[in-house]
Amino acid sequence: MLVQSLFPPQGSVALEELKAQVAGGNVNPPFDAGVVEACIELSQRLLRDPIARRYPELLALGFWMRKTELHRLRQQFDLLQRDDRLLVPCGLVFHLPPRNVDTMFVYSWLLSALTGNCNVIRLSPQRSESTAALLRLFSETLAQASPSAKQGTWIVSYGHEEEPTQAFSSICDMRVIWGGDHTVSTIRQIPLSPHAREIVFADRFSLSAIDAASYLDLNESGRSVLARQFFDDSFWFDQMACSSPRLVVWCGKQNHAAGASADFFPRVNDYAVLRQEVQPAQCMHRFLSSSLAILDRPVTNYRRFPALSVLTLSDLEEFDRNHPGGEVFFECRVERLEEITPALRRRDQTLTWFGFGTDELRRLVTALNGRALDRIVPIGQALQFGRFWDGNDLLQSFCRQVFIGAPQPLLPEPS
Amino acid sequence: MTVEDLLRQPPYSLPQAEKERILLGELNRLHDHHRRHSAEYARVTEILFPRTAAPATLAELPYLPVGLFKERLFSSVPKEKVFKVLQSSGTTGQTPSRITLDHETALLQTQALACIMTHVLGPERLPMLLIESPDVIRDRTQFSARGAGLLGMMNFGRQHCYALDSDLRLRLPEVRDFLARFGKGKFLIFGFTYLVWSAFLEPIQSLGLDLSNGILIHSGGWKKLQEQAVSADQFRAAFREATGLGRIHNFYGMVEQVGSIFLEGDDGNFYPPTFADVIIRDPQTFEELPPGQTGVVEVLSLLPRSYPGHALLTEDLGVVHAIDPLGGNRLGKSFSILGRIPRAELRGCSDVIAAQVN
Repeated sequence: MLVQSLFPPQGSVALEELKAQVAGGNVNPPFDAGVVEACIELSQRLLRDPIARRYPELLALGFWMRKTELHRLRQQFDLLQRDDRLLVPCGLVFHLPPRNVDTMFVYSWLLSALTGNCNVIRLSPQRSESTAALLRLFSETLAQASPSAKQGTWIVSYGHEEEPTQAFSSICDMRVIWGGDHTVSTIRQIPLSPHAREIVFADRFSLSAIDAASYLDLNESGRSVLARQFFDDSFWFDQMACSSPRLVVWCGKQNHAAGASADFFPRVNDYAVLRQEVQPAQCMHRFLSSSLAILDRPVTNYRRFPALSVLTLSDLEEFDRNHPGGEVFFECRVERLEEITPALRRRDQTLTWFGFGTDELRRLVTALNGRALDRIVPIGQALQFGRFWDGNDLLQSFCRQVFIGAPQPLLPEPS
Repeated sequence: MTVEDLLRQPPYSLPQAEKERILLGELNRLHDHHRRHSAEYARVTEILFPRTAAPATLAELPYLPVGLFKERLFSSVPKEKVFKVLQSSGTTGQTPSRITLDHETALLQTQALACIMTHVLGPERLPMLLIESPDVIRDRTQFSARGAGLLGMMNFGRQHCYALDSDLRLRLPEVRDFLARFGKGKFLIFGFTYLVWSAFLEPIQSLGLDLSNGILIHSGGWKKLQEQAVSADQFRAAFREATGLGRIHNFYGMVEQVGSIFLEGDDGNFYPPTFADVIIRDPQTFEELPPGQTGVVEVLSLLPRSYPGHALLTEDLGVVHAIDPLGGNRLGKSFSILGRIPRAELRGCSDVIAAQVN
């Protein structure tokens, strides 16, 4: 069968031929100068390109992989290296990024390529405009990059056929599945070679917690900044990114929570209306999903704004994490942050927050003891990708750890 | 004045102001009826439209998103009174809407359709050419909306002749025979817009059949024809030229409000009958828009008593042209439907590989 090879750009290639190419791909030492150079170049192109600049998520990607950040990443990596344990590349990494969060394939590729791996990335044949822009810049950059950078990356595209996934799974050393529970389960049916490892990113749910009194203490501009940051977290991917908040927990007294909520959501809406066109279809989608939520959940109040809807819940017991996206926000109130502990589940990934101290957040993590939450970041950083994701340190996950033992004294002979 | 009273009057006889006064009272009563008999309706409307005073205008009445009927089965009658559950035909892959009917509502639907149809067809049953295959109503236990629509319309005809076979190919000898017997007098043609165009007009276009005494009633939307770039005007012109057929009435309606149809007037615009109305809303604010402005169509009808479908926000775009237009023979609002709201694709983390595989 034929598979599209988007990078290197070689059109339709027989799967067997492509598999042979990939199997012979370049594995570099971690933080190879040519690869780092290519990443810096891609970052600059993303920040400069007039089309890429239309998409905030591409700008964020460019910003995240700029030179100083790559430098910092390198330092972090060096700190991980010890005398008796060296991090080395896994080898060949097979990435299956989500179709709809366009930038994910670059984040996944970047950490894997920087740690030295050879990469094959599968993209869906249906690609959004921003993915197309990103792909173009990516290909242009790599085409001009040093051999070490360009000879270790393949971007392939095929539909729902299993055959190519089988072929790449059989030769890779690590498989990375970014996708929903369904995708993960489907792809997990396809065997890996016995020595290979796998990282999966299943469906997740994310929420925000805001200390109501602290919010009310903010001045006008402080409130507007927070609303803007919350917009960035929620709206870039239509609230469908797994780290975008879908529930806002107000912490504090009833009157504070009500006052803060009544001020906050209209601000988020005003900013959203300013920043992006409100699509009629989304308004209808929201109206329908709000109606269904009212039937299924303990909703006590409904507020509809042009760009979002807010549904107040009486409690979080049995709170269903399934969520239609499209800017439908649930909210509820607790007296103190730690009261949300019983309601949290394994599926809960990112808690974005405002108005709490580090101690309070650490106490929450300790109380949860691994039952829920993988990221706790200030509001505004929900979509900021990083090496720590879904409970993994990707800088280490893309590596094998080689132990170098020192001589040891001889054990006494058994008597 | 109750819905029964309205159904005894000509369908376009009420000036808008008077009509709104009557509808407001009746729809408020219907809202109370459904609130008492459907816990789900009571729950949704109480949260979506919390208010203390009774609505003072039609636009203030609570309404449901029409898509809710694809997700849940609503009923305002006890189980033993349910006479059938009507299901929209829905194209493949789409969840159909399901509508609970009791005898009372089914009767109202029939009477409503009669009230509207006699206005254009006259009181006599006419010989009827159906642009359908007999298969669509063969299995009466399976009530598709298309079958139900056809059965409903068949009441206005006699000597029914199916123009299509099971494969939706034209049965030309039968059509010729029908025209030979009835073509000299008034007769009725009924079918779904797309079939009327592609399975009927196309094969007969060059045969010189005389349909000039016919009245064509059709419905079902323009989506497929728009893909072929056929406009309503072209549709009319092509029929007139090829067959001499001049009396053509499209209608706008939906399974969620069967019987409550909006029939095209001579000016090509739709008109709500006395017992129904439309409101055009701003898609962002849901505020009512004045004539001339395009927005989302809300449909109101006094017919749905067995399920809370009396006020529905559709997913169609439309525009009201005039209210009680001067010089026309119909009172009330005149409006057009401009098609579906364009779909928006949501983004997000969940991949679609699995969705494609399964």
